[in-house]
Amino acid sequence: MSQANSPRAAGSQLPVASPSRRNRAPRHAMRWIGASLFGFWILVAIFGPMLAPHPVGALVGDDMFAGASAAFPLGTDYLGRDMLSRILTGARYTVGLALIAALLASSIGASLGILAALAPKWLDETVSRLNDALISIPSKMLALVMVSAFGASIPLLIITAVLSYAPGAFRISRSLAANLTTLEYVQVARTRGEGRLYIAWAELLPNMIHPVLADMGMRFVFIVLLLSGMSFLGLGVQPPIADLGSLVRENIGGLSEGALAVIAPAVAIGTLTIGANLLIDSLSASRGQQGD
Amino acid sequence: MRNPILRLLLGRLASGVLTLLIVSLVIFAITSLLPGDAAQQILGQFATPEQVAALRTQLGLDQPALLRYFNWLIGLVSGDLGQSVSNALPVSTLMAGRLPNSLILAGVTTAVSVPIALALGIISAMRRGGAIDRVLNVFTLSMVAVPEFLVATIAVLIFAVHLGWLPALSYVSSVENIGDFMRIYAMPVLTLCCVLIAQMARMTRAALIDQLDSPYIEMAQLKGVGPLRRVLRHALPNSLGPIANAVALSLSYLLGGVIIVETIFNYPGIASLMVDAVANRDLALVQACAMLFCSAYLVLVIAADLCAILSNPRLRT
Amino acid sequence: MTDHKNSIPGLIGPEQSTRLFEAMHRGLSRRDALKALGAAGLFAASAGSMFGSGLGYAAEPAGTPTRGGRIRVAAHSASTSDTLDPALGATAIDYVRHATFYNGLTVFDETLTPQPALAEHFETTDGGTTWLFTLRSGVTFHDGKSLEPADVIFSLGRHKDPNTGSKVMSLAEQISTVEAVGDRQVRIVLSSPNVELPSILAVSHMMIVQAGTTDFTKGIGTGPFRCQEFNPGVRSVAVRNENYWKEGRPYLDEIEMVGIGDESSRVNALLSGDVQLVNNVSGRSASRVENSGAHAIKASNSGNYSDLVMRVDQEPTSRPEFVEAMKYLFDREQIKRAVFRNYAEIANDQPIAQSNRYYFDGLPQREYDPERARALLAKAGVQGARLPIVASPAANGSEDMAVLLQQSAQQAGLNLTVNRVPSDGYWSNHWMKHPLGFGNINPRPTANILLSQFFQSSAPWNESGWQNEQFDQLLVLSRQEPDEAKRMQMYADMQTLIHDHAGIGIPVFISDIDGYDTRLKGYERSIPLGGFMGYSFPEHVWWEA
Repeated sequence: MSQANSPRAAGSQLPVASPSRRNRAPRHAMRWIGASLFGFWILVAIFGPMLAPHPVGALVGDDMFAGASAAFPLGTDYLGRDMLSRILTGARYTVGLALIAALLASSIGASLGILAALAPKWLDETVSRLNDALISIPSKMLALVMVSAFGASIPLLIITAVLSYAPGAFRISRSLAANLTTLEYVQVARTRGEGRLYIAWAELLPNMIHPVLADMGMRFVFIVLLLSGMSFLGLGVQPPIADLGSLVRENIGGLSEGALAVIAPAVAIGTLTIGANLLIDSLSASRGQQGD
Repeated sequence: MRNPILRLLLGRLASGVLTLLIVSLVIFAITSLLPGDAAQQILGQFATPEQVAALRTQLGLDQPALLRYFNWLIGLVSGDLGQSVSNALPVSTLMAGRLPNSLILAGVTTAVSVPIALALGIISAMRRGGAIDRVLNVFTLSMVAVPEFLVATIAVLIFAVHLGWLPALSYVSSVENIGDFMRIYAMPVLTLCCVLIAQMARMTRAALIDQLDSPYIEMAQLKGVGPLRRVLRHALPNSLGPIANAVALSLSYLLGGVIIVETIFNYPGIASLMVDAVANRDLALVQACAMLFCSAYLVLVIAADLCAILSNPRLRT
Repeated sequence: MTDHKNSIPGLIGPEQSTRLFEAMHRGLSRRDALKALGAAGLFAASAGSMFGSGLGYAAEPAGTPTRGGRIRVAAHSASTSDTLDPALGATAIDYVRHATFYNGLTVFDETLTPQPALAEHFETTDGGTTWLFTLRSGVTFHDGKSLEPADVIFSLGRHKDPNTGSKVMSLAEQISTVEAVGDRQVRIVLSSPNVELPSILAVSHMMIVQAGTTDFTKGIGTGPFRCQEFNPGVRSVAVRNENYWKEGRPYLDEIEMVGIGDESSRVNALLSGDVQLVNNVSGRSASRVENSGAHAIKASNSGNYSDLVMRVDQEPTSRPEFVEAMKYLFDREQIKRAVFRNYAEIANDQPIAQSNRYYFDGLPQREYDPERARALLAKAGVQGARLPIVASPAANGSEDMAVLLQQSAQQAGLNLTVNRVPSDGYWSNHWMKHPLGFGNINPRPTANILLSQFFQSSAPWNESGWQNEQFDQLLVLSRQEPDEAKRMQMYADMQTLIHDHAGIGIPVFISDIDGYDTRLKGYERSIPLGGFMGYSFPEHVWWEA
């Protein structure tokens, strides 16, 4: 958008050279931690429901908000259901929905953003205006309206999350891409007569992948949180199953007594999102090195 | 340099009007998909069909939807935001009561979060891969990974219920001095900062690192420019575009997206006004809120783009 | 007159004359009411059942009322549709505000018996069709204007105009004419006899506003407090009406009302001292409030219920065996304990609660019996079927009840899938629209209103679409039957019909739980209409610093 009114041609006093990277401290430790946390949750998402010791909706204990015990390692929830089973069952929805929605939102947003930066001005303007319109509607409001109008289903939840978070990805990618198009090597590629898609893929994407991925990691976190907010509004995954955010929400009454039922899913969300982001950080760092 | 900026602003003004028009159409389209209308919402669970019909006529809801939209649009152009159907007050009165609160909360949160986020991002970028970077990375991630309502509730339990230092609710009406002000805003601002700082700090770090990897920074390093100067004088100006955009995006959240904070602290802001309006199918109020959020967002992105242009000589010409 | 002294807090000293004044009027009017209702045993019976149920009903408020003090009260909802127009009241915060700024011609006491308020005297001259209400003299509105028959004519007439959007239009439709008789009396003529008119006029929607009012945002009424500030969805500030017609009342100087939608925020605000009174505390938070040392809980059961609605005009809920099976699938003890933390009373698929004088206790309690349900389901031909059940946060506790029902249905070989829908738009788009769903019915002022609105064949909110001629006939007869014993029998028969045949499952009656600062006194009384002392606390409570 910034480029819509400013010329892309610009002189650079820098020598034309492929950006070299300085050697940095190995990120193996971080990558290892990230990969194992994220891998753990992927495994839970796949096998969790099979491992759950109790049915997800069954009232197994007489006690609500019971602490950890041999029978219920993560205690019981606000109705007296086994928390371990509920987390094992619910993780699939959080991981699955958020992962798919974040990947879709970021890839759609980023591709459109890059193409808009390279597109003719009128197209860029149109897409950007539509995008601005979408972005300025608060996401929870959009979610409320979407679900009230179309009913709650898993595909709809994903569509809502993508509609809420793709515009942000678009804006950031477009801004990054627009900055890059003014750089020497892109100008050179243009004068070489390369096509737009080639420039986008070979010249722009590798050089903006780090912030785009970091942004996707954040979007993943936000979508996890959006899902919990939607369950709060009576939308979201259908009971008795609850995604991790909803597990926190429905047990919030136990917070004052320090109930495991609210701490356990919160820790689950924390480890999942931190794991995913550490992994993305380390991947994008190595990707950057390969891209040279 | 005056000229291009003036041209930019004029261009943006024109495209902003277009964006607002698109938003109003989108809002109009999705709210007309909503089941039920204002008459049913006003009369509630136990309304009779005759009553609903009568109220619809009275409120003008029996006119075709498009006609109502154009009437609203004509009103808007002439500066009339219309009437709220749910309580017969002018929309402008309802908004005027809430907007200052929202702006104050957004302003205070911005003033606190942006400097902290930039500082954290710059420190992380300078110490990339080092211990500080990793600690900050995990710290910002943990902050953002905790649901907002959990942060707010924990804060209330600790500071209001157990320690009794801060009020559990944010009563704007009881502000008399700067002490009151700080006590009232401490917890809402803290909660919002947890969400915003992480995102802005991480984008700042990412954008800076991209620049730090560029050849011209390598050149500067070879010329013996120190790390702080490299970051602040060379890398930062070039990455201001993406950073300003990330900041603008985060801040636009502060008007319409703070519904959870407004609910938990009972803060009378504009986000809860719009949620009410949607629930009441109060179309004029929904549209007015949407126009406001969109305008605020547009102002923020124009500011972000101005930042980018002013800081990047190559974009200026 | 055993309940007489309970109606009036122990006043002493300068207020003694007031007490005498009030007592005199109560005594007089009570006799009139008795005559009107033709029900001599009514008060003993109702008082007895109130005591018997022991629902947070304290014999006498402790302590001497003192004047002064300001409190802040948080209700469970507030939105821009908050209104000071009594006809439009929809939520707890509206009802309390209306009781703060206005009065009705009559007012409910602890047994839901209508007592004189703006009318100091009322009687029917012909067994329930023509009624004469005598207005109290010397009553003024907050702007200084005196109360006149014209105000009553205007206030009652508004409800019949569809443009008003009144919530009680259907109740008001039986009022044919309202006319002034002299300058202190009003004659009301009904389209058919109804001995319950004084009760209907005690409903908060029927409160009296000034003739010709179009702008209701000022809250100008005759009530105990004047409206100083009203900001819908934000707050209202009420200050004492020094000219209130009840001498010595109210006690408080000021009441600020706000809405806090989130339950845990509301309880935290109470515990941190930001507010002094809250409603809709969940059973889960009740122990937190009680353990704080400075706060107390008041749980009262007014007969609020969330019910399973089984539409008789849809499949498979039209099959009587299926409906009966579902009623046996409620583990009522479990619902009471797990969902409501024992702040509920076991119900028996009859809509009238134990606290009501027309409650029929002769029905055997339906127990949880999955085996019997299994047999019934087989008979209905739906065993092993997969059915959606619609629940929503809009119907209190329905999501949890649906999940528990899902569990117990599995025991009987029935697969229920819970379909949770948003509370936004629930009542207009989902309620009564699905074969299996939930409703939520708030207490009604009289058993007859409840049965007429929700069980009569022709009623728009006949939740299950149940058609029963015998029931309809009994209902109409009971409105006109002057003999209390015969009426009791009619209500018993109607409850038996509902229990046996209607497509409604009522597992429990949910208690209303208020939490309050123990310095707030006089909060022990209950008026079984809902929380906040039946929404009428403002003029009854005082602050002891």
